[in-house]
Amino acid sequence: MTKVNHMPRFITPLLLTLIGLLLLGQGAYIHAKALLAQVLLERAFDATIATGHPTKPWSWADTWPVARIEVKRIGASAIVLSGSSGQALAFGPGHVELTPDAGERGVAVYSAHRDTHFRFLRNVAIGDEIDVTRSDGRMFRYRADSSSVVRFDASDIDPLADGYGLVLSTCWPFDALTSGPERYLLHATMIEPDR
Amino acid sequence: MTTCDETTCDESETYRHANLAALSLRALNLGPSNLASLTRLLLFVVMQCLTVILIGFAALFVSFEPVWSQEAPQVFARPGDAHTGTLLLKTDDGYADAIRLGVDVDLTVSGPTIRARVTQIFRNPTQSWVEATYVYPLPDGGAVDTLKMVVGDRVIVGDIKERQQAKVIYEQARASGRKAALTEQERPNMFTNSVANIGPGETVLVQIEYQEPVHQSGNEFSLRVPLVVGPRYTPAPVVQSVDLRADGGGWGATVSDPVPDRDRITSQVLDPALHAPVNPTTITVHLQAGFPLGDVKSPFHAVKIDSPDAATRTITLADGPVPADRDFELTWKPAAEQAPSVGLFREHVGDADYVLAFVTPPAVEQAEQKPLPREVVFVIDNSGSMGGTSITQAKASLIYGLGRLQAGDRFNVIRFDHTMDVLFADSVPADAAHIAEATAFVTALQAQGGTEMVPAMRAALTDHSGADSNTLRQVVFLTDGDIGNEEQLFETINAMRGRSRVFMVGIGSAPNTYLMTRAAELGRGAFTHIGSVDQVEERMRGLFAKLENPAVTNLVAKFSDAAADFTPAAIPDLYRGEPLVLAAKLDKLKGSVEFKGRIGDRPWVVTLPLANAAEGKGLSKLWARRKISDAEIARTTRQVSPEDADKTILALALQHQLVTRLTSLVAVDTTPSRPEGEPLKLTDLPLNLPAGWDFAKVFGDRPQLPAPLKERRADAGDVKGQTAMKRALPAPMPDAVKLPKTATDAELRMIAGSILLMLGLMWLLLNRRQRFAN
Repeated sequence: MTKVNHMPRFITPLLLTLIGLLLLGQGAYIHAKALLAQVLLERAFDATIATGHPTKPWSWADTWPVARIEVKRIGASAIVLSGSSGQALAFGPGHVELTPDAGERGVAVYSAHRDTHFRFLRNVAIGDEIDVTRSDGRMFRYRADSSSVVRFDASDIDPLADGYGLVLSTCWPFDALTSGPERYLLHATMIEPDR
Repeated sequence: MTTCDETTCDESETYRHANLAALSLRALNLGPSNLASLTRLLLFVVMQCLTVILIGFAALFVSFEPVWSQEAPQVFARPGDAHTGTLLLKTDDGYADAIRLGVDVDLTVSGPTIRARVTQIFRNPTQSWVEATYVYPLPDGGAVDTLKMVVGDRVIVGDIKERQQAKVIYEQARASGRKAALTEQERPNMFTNSVANIGPGETVLVQIEYQEPVHQSGNEFSLRVPLVVGPRYTPAPVVQSVDLRADGGGWGATVSDPVPDRDRITSQVLDPALHAPVNPTTITVHLQAGFPLGDVKSPFHAVKIDSPDAATRTITLADGPVPADRDFELTWKPAAEQAPSVGLFREHVGDADYVLAFVTPPAVEQAEQKPLPREVVFVIDNSGSMGGTSITQAKASLIYGLGRLQAGDRFNVIRFDHTMDVLFADSVPADAAHIAEATAFVTALQAQGGTEMVPAMRAALTDHSGADSNTLRQVVFLTDGDIGNEEQLFETINAMRGRSRVFMVGIGSAPNTYLMTRAAELGRGAFTHIGSVDQVEERMRGLFAKLENPAVTNLVAKFSDAAADFTPAAIPDLYRGEPLVLAAKLDKLKGSVEFKGRIGDRPWVVTLPLANAAEGKGLSKLWARRKISDAEIARTTRQVSPEDADKTILALALQHQLVTRLTSLVAVDTTPSRPEGEPLKLTDLPLNLPAGWDFAKVFGDRPQLPAPLKERRADAGDVKGQTAMKRALPAPMPDAVKLPKTATDAELRMIAGSILLMLGLMWLLLNRRQRFAN
């Protein structure tokens, strides 16, 4: 057999392999972006606290870090960005527009991807302490009191409710591969203002 | 750290897929003899995955590189912030809890001008003394001249002062424990009010008044109120009234409609109690068009329209107070086919007469001359801030524009975020192939990245064919204008304009109109705003009518007898349907004013006798505001030294009592009108609160109405205060929060990728075995 006859037999599997690699790469890229952005955001956030000026994580960013969320028990931490557009969420959790800041009266809502920054949400148990550090350096401690699953457009969250609340939101179910209308909400209440 | 966790997760994921691959291979009965090659294969898969992940990281590092060169901390001064209104309270200890009870916007059209009165009521429910700072947007052309505040039982009326001086007066009053109020201009369309020493439980009433010219385009008149949610200020709409006379061969004089006491003809404000939205905003427009009215429409809000007579309308919100989450717009058309084409108004203030003239040139058909071929450069902003519906609108607009090109036209497309692409090296003929290519290019655009507008504008204004070319060169620039370096953009336009004309298309619900208007003015083009996808076609049609029809050029104004100081000094070209608006200060009201120009290739002239002008209101302020705006432009474009420009602005502002970049309104407890201890009642206030504003109801009965505001502590220094001011507020929301989409398809891709990879490799392996078998 000549080499020419072999060629077509190799093209299809090679193509498959290439496409596979490409898809795998894209998936990895999403995760890589999410990871690396957090590193940069961490730096920008530290600079923000140190200088008192909002600092962009990279020069052309359309958003900037506004808070750090930590769950010490499970060693989880993430830097929250201003706004919850798709662009912002690729880099970190977003502070949902039109909800108050953490530490203010009302319900602060932070949202992030279930498969990147809020992957840890499934491990947060009721009673866990959630620390939120704002960009002005003040920290507020919340305690998780309940969780719920809602539709994205029927969250029932009143951002202007009485009291000092916090909601962390991500997609539900955790292990689904496609995005759906359901969101997992972790509700928390402030237990310790500004240490 | 999360990062480590996630790395492990990713990798274990990969291993899992690899194991899966091994299992399936076994299921295919490849037999133990292949174990060695299987292991090799497995290793290969794993290595591949790791490589891909590494490459992903590397790519990321490469694309993130500029980060490290950007060490200097940045303070954001984004023009978009001008659209937020914020009340900040400072106290000595703990939180300040500010509660806003409502906003009322009352607009009255008096001849060619709009008088807007905006009243806000706040209450300090805390036990401490607080200082309130309120940031709010206003229309660009608005001239703020009045500030009144009722703090508890004190009525405070503002005086105009130089900005520094005003600040000092305010600070002194604050330090000495007296009540004081200060209104400052942050941007031409963004103002700040500060109120010092609000006592525990006291209530603050804030009232600002401003004057604005009416907006006209073609047959349509309009007004726009940038309404924003949260404790935000709502700028008032604009209303115009004009009268058409039958004589004069299609030309008429416009007559103002002086309504003696507009304050009293306010219609009922719907009772907020019945609707109880959070932060209720009520809007009332007294539309006194001097001509019989046709269509009156509010595209974004349901309104109730009363018609006392043919030329008058009273517009109120149909569903009562609304949470202010979008701009309020009102448009109206005359009942007659043709809008009034001329308006002439006068006002006597001090020893001078002020005149405001509106002239709409006739739409002359270009019978004998073919329209000039055009070169159109479309520029589209695909930065991250355009994400969502904005980019959809921008794309739809651009594609509509491409469709409107005619044979003989040339065009090009530029897209920018923090990077930039020019589709064609030079402008290309608008043939089917090129348009198809451009359409595909535009359709594929995605909103992400930063906003570097200046290089894009520079590229768009780079004129390859030179000034002698016999074409019209037009730049259509689609953006939300969300940038901070406006001055740089203005300088670029001014320096590189040449024969190009810049048409700004503002996209989204709250574009930076200051940037758009000024850029269009400097670029001698026009500004079009597209607020929703539905508006794309209508607005773009209007824009293209302007682009395609001959402009009125070489316009000059001449006053026969009076010595006139008029603005704009150099009258810009007019596009179809646009009126010429001229404001002038005269030493005497005598003789006439003559406008001359060319419509296409035909000369055009019109003469207005000044004696026939109708009485108007607030024209002197509009004139002064325009002069100030001219001075600011001259300063930007370096035609005048900054010192001289500032001197001119200061003189005008002080004489006409206007808040500008250099002047502020300040009030320090000058009119304590209420006896000590008397309870605050609406009827006692020397403020003209709109009729129907049920004070007792709004204040007393419904503690659930108030929305919490952004709270700040007093110890937040200046810097933090500024930052706080610029943040958006928690908004009053009629419904609950909408949660963003929070799943990526990363895993789906990775799983699909692994399966394909595995299949491909298995295939390869089988092929190899077969070959060996052969």
